[in-house]
Amino acid sequence: MRSRRRFLSAAGGLAAAALLSPRASAQLTRTPLNNMPEIIRRLTGGAAITAGRVKLEVPPLVENGHLVPLSVTVESPMTASDYVSEIHVFTDKNPLPEMISFHLGPRAGRASIATRVRLADTENVVAIARMSDGSYWSDTAFVIVTMAACLEEL
Amino acid sequence: MSTVKTMPDLSRRSFIIGTAAVGSGLALGLNIPFASRGARAAEATPEVNAWVVIKPDDTVVIRVARSEMGQGTLTGLAQMVAEELECDWSKVTTEYPTPGQSVARKRVWGDFSTGGSRGIRESHDYVRRGGVVARMMLVQAAADEWKVAAAECSAANSIITHGPSGRTTTYGKVAEAAAKVTQPQAKDVVLKDPKDWKLIGKSVHRLDTIDKVTGKMIYTSDFTLPGMLQAAIKECPVFGGKLKSFDAGKVSGMRGVKHVLQVGDSAVAVVADSWWRAKVALDALPIVWDEGANAKVSSATIGEMLKEGLGAEQAFVGNKAGDAKAALSGAAKKVEAVYAYPNLNHATMEPMNTVARYTPDRCEVWLGTQNGEASFAAVLAASGLPADKCEVYKLMLGSGFGRRGAFQDYVRQAVLIAKQIPGTPVKLQWSREEDMTQGRYHPLTQCKLTGGFDAANNLTALHVRISGQSILSSVRPEALVNGMDPAVFQGMHASGEFEFGYNAIPNLLVDHAMRNTHVPPGFWRGVNINQNAVYMECFIDELAQAAGQDPLEFRRKLMTKNPKHLAVLNAAAERAGWGKPAPKGVFRGLAQMKGYNSFVAACAEISVTGGNKVKVHRIVAATDCGYAVNPSLIERQIAGSFVYGLSALFYQECTVKNGRIEQTNFHNYQSMRIAQMPKIEAIVMPSGGFWGGVGEPTICVAAPAVLNAFAAATGKRVRSFPLKNHGITLV
Repeated sequence: MRSRRRFLSAAGGLAAAALLSPRASAQLTRTPLNNMPEIIRRLTGGAAITAGRVKLEVPPLVENGHLVPLSVTVESPMTASDYVSEIHVFTDKNPLPEMISFHLGPRAGRASIATRVRLADTENVVAIARMSDGSYWSDTAFVIVTMAACLEEL
Repeated sequence: MSTVKTMPDLSRRSFIIGTAAVGSGLALGLNIPFASRGARAAEATPEVNAWVVIKPDDTVVIRVARSEMGQGTLTGLAQMVAEELECDWSKVTTEYPTPGQSVARKRVWGDFSTGGSRGIRESHDYVRRGGVVARMMLVQAAADEWKVAAAECSAANSIITHGPSGRTTTYGKVAEAAAKVTQPQAKDVVLKDPKDWKLIGKSVHRLDTIDKVTGKMIYTSDFTLPGMLQAAIKECPVFGGKLKSFDAGKVSGMRGVKHVLQVGDSAVAVVADSWWRAKVALDALPIVWDEGANAKVSSATIGEMLKEGLGAEQAFVGNKAGDAKAALSGAAKKVEAVYAYPNLNHATMEPMNTVARYTPDRCEVWLGTQNGEASFAAVLAASGLPADKCEVYKLMLGSGFGRRGAFQDYVRQAVLIAKQIPGTPVKLQWSREEDMTQGRYHPLTQCKLTGGFDAANNLTALHVRISGQSILSSVRPEALVNGMDPAVFQGMHASGEFEFGYNAIPNLLVDHAMRNTHVPPGFWRGVNINQNAVYMECFIDELAQAAGQDPLEFRRKLMTKNPKHLAVLNAAAERAGWGKPAPKGVFRGLAQMKGYNSFVAACAEISVTGGNKVKVHRIVAATDCGYAVNPSLIERQIAGSFVYGLSALFYQECTVKNGRIEQTNFHNYQSMRIAQMPKIEAIVMPSGGFWGGVGEPTICVAAPAVLNAFAAATGKRVRSFPLKNHGITLV
């Protein structure tokens, strides 16, 4: 089980720690954590990520992890000099931590995406937006995925 | 394979669960099911931690997320919290947190899902830690008040004592202060060594029995709200069909009828001031169904499809050793048999039901469910409202057996009805006929088993080909592994919670030709170990017979590396007197399997008169579940599971004609009666070091043990079920 604390201090302490409360999704379910912190660090090159400006909307509880509606909206004027260039969404228990990435430009008009995703288990979902000025912003959500009864994770 | 599941590190604050926090219906939900104990959770009493509320009068309220459905999980989990909490057991009661609270508190109580025999074995660690943390906080509060070190204090029976001075206080007196103490980290606390357990392992009385016996227990059937209407529903009787039209005008003037509503695209409901009036109107309602192509399906056509699978080239491999096909083709002697196991209905005591109330601002649902969170998810999806506007209140279930966990179809229906009559609460109650024909059925399979012997009568090869339905492909396709459904092979896996007992078969192939039908499959108590135990344990007896060997000896020789499988088998056989002569006319049969991480075995003793009248005198059943939290509850689970399993064996099947299920009520889907019940001698033999389930594994050994005894008595092997189809009756 990866040590969250090691990652959080390496990535720049407070800003990265704001990403999610440690161990919150490690609780009480069988699926182990993936290496999401490292994947995020590779994306940002270790730059600070500030919580805010990003609104991640996903239901707090879903019956079936197969079809989870998800949307990300970022506050931005979307002008040539000030726009959202990337939106990435990660999870900490899916086999592949990076779920989706969108690349936008000022002609997108709005920094707003909506889609459906698959969630492997009850886990944290993290949306990270990169602005045209190079800064990173984020929002997180915790999603409970109820499991079918009488079934073993074989 | 036990995984430590640790408590979350929550930010500390006093979290008061009361009417203000979550909504006006909350008090009702939390009061149930222990009405007579009257432990309403504290409109004002703060919790010590998420798991424990202690009232000034020392009443201890323990919160449990899993659902009680007769299996005793609620009592068992409460025992485990109370063990570490060191409280007075006579003052313990329990309450259910709601799924809305679970969402709001990031699932602090863990998984709500109750099934797969997971209630105790997957919660035991974190619920015990919850008890430790609460105890430590209470002790600390007393120590702070006395200005002494907590290490000088001890707790027992809800009393805290300061060793050096002898001062005492009670939990009730310090609970409020305890709520403000800094909560220790759950993952760091020390749990008691099992040898120090005082409450775990004790056969204490269940917490819910008295209310059930006196009629005070509230089930969805009992539940009412002011102004509530009642709904009866019919879904298209052919699975996959649609509702074409209905003539509401023909019944809307009938007495008591308030509404005639379409529900989704395949059902119609009548809402009336009484359920009977709703049902009578619904029966009179002209309905036109678009039955679709499945209307042509019958058990005969399905049977042909499964039979083809028995010989198909392509199949998913579940377990494999050596080269069974080659070994079989070179075998000195071959034995082959084909078995078949039918679709079954859960036939819960209470047909499906749900109470729902919808407004655009709030959707609330009351019901008995095996999974409060799954019900909540269904409410969110059907209402279209966000989570903070919805809630589910759990009532006692009139049995689940797997029907009320993964499947929340009745919840969805109730919300869709309530949405059409906003503001008016409505109780949707399925008729027994609806429940029998709109089930989620035990899967249908056939099995061809082929065994090969060498010249010295050693079993050298075994091929088990299963043909039939996969539950997961329909219910949880994300759990398939490259298309294979691993659950099909329960009891026959190479390792793990369903490990095969016969490790010494050098060439083994267990494979599955997936043949899905339009009959929706589901998890029926035991799931796939029911048919796999019949297939395996009856066939191993056939092999023993072909080799001229005693069935127990034959098994023992194949279980060289499975001491725990062997231990339960030996225990059941020995207690039953295997090897010593049986009373005149009494014949014995054996069976064993591992399921849900527990080892189970049985020896049945029966007599047969006239070749077909079976009296089951006694079944000796041995269970090793690792740790036994409440041994008497385990004994009752064993006996109860045998009622379910033997009823299925002798009486039950769900057949298809014109695309519909033919069995509609208990006249054509019988259950055994008290007078037919054999004496059950349960040997509860927990060997420690692991946690196995009890609710599900025990059922699988009753049927094969009885079938093997029948073969011993009559010389006849019965390979398709139920037995009534062969003119065999249970006396």
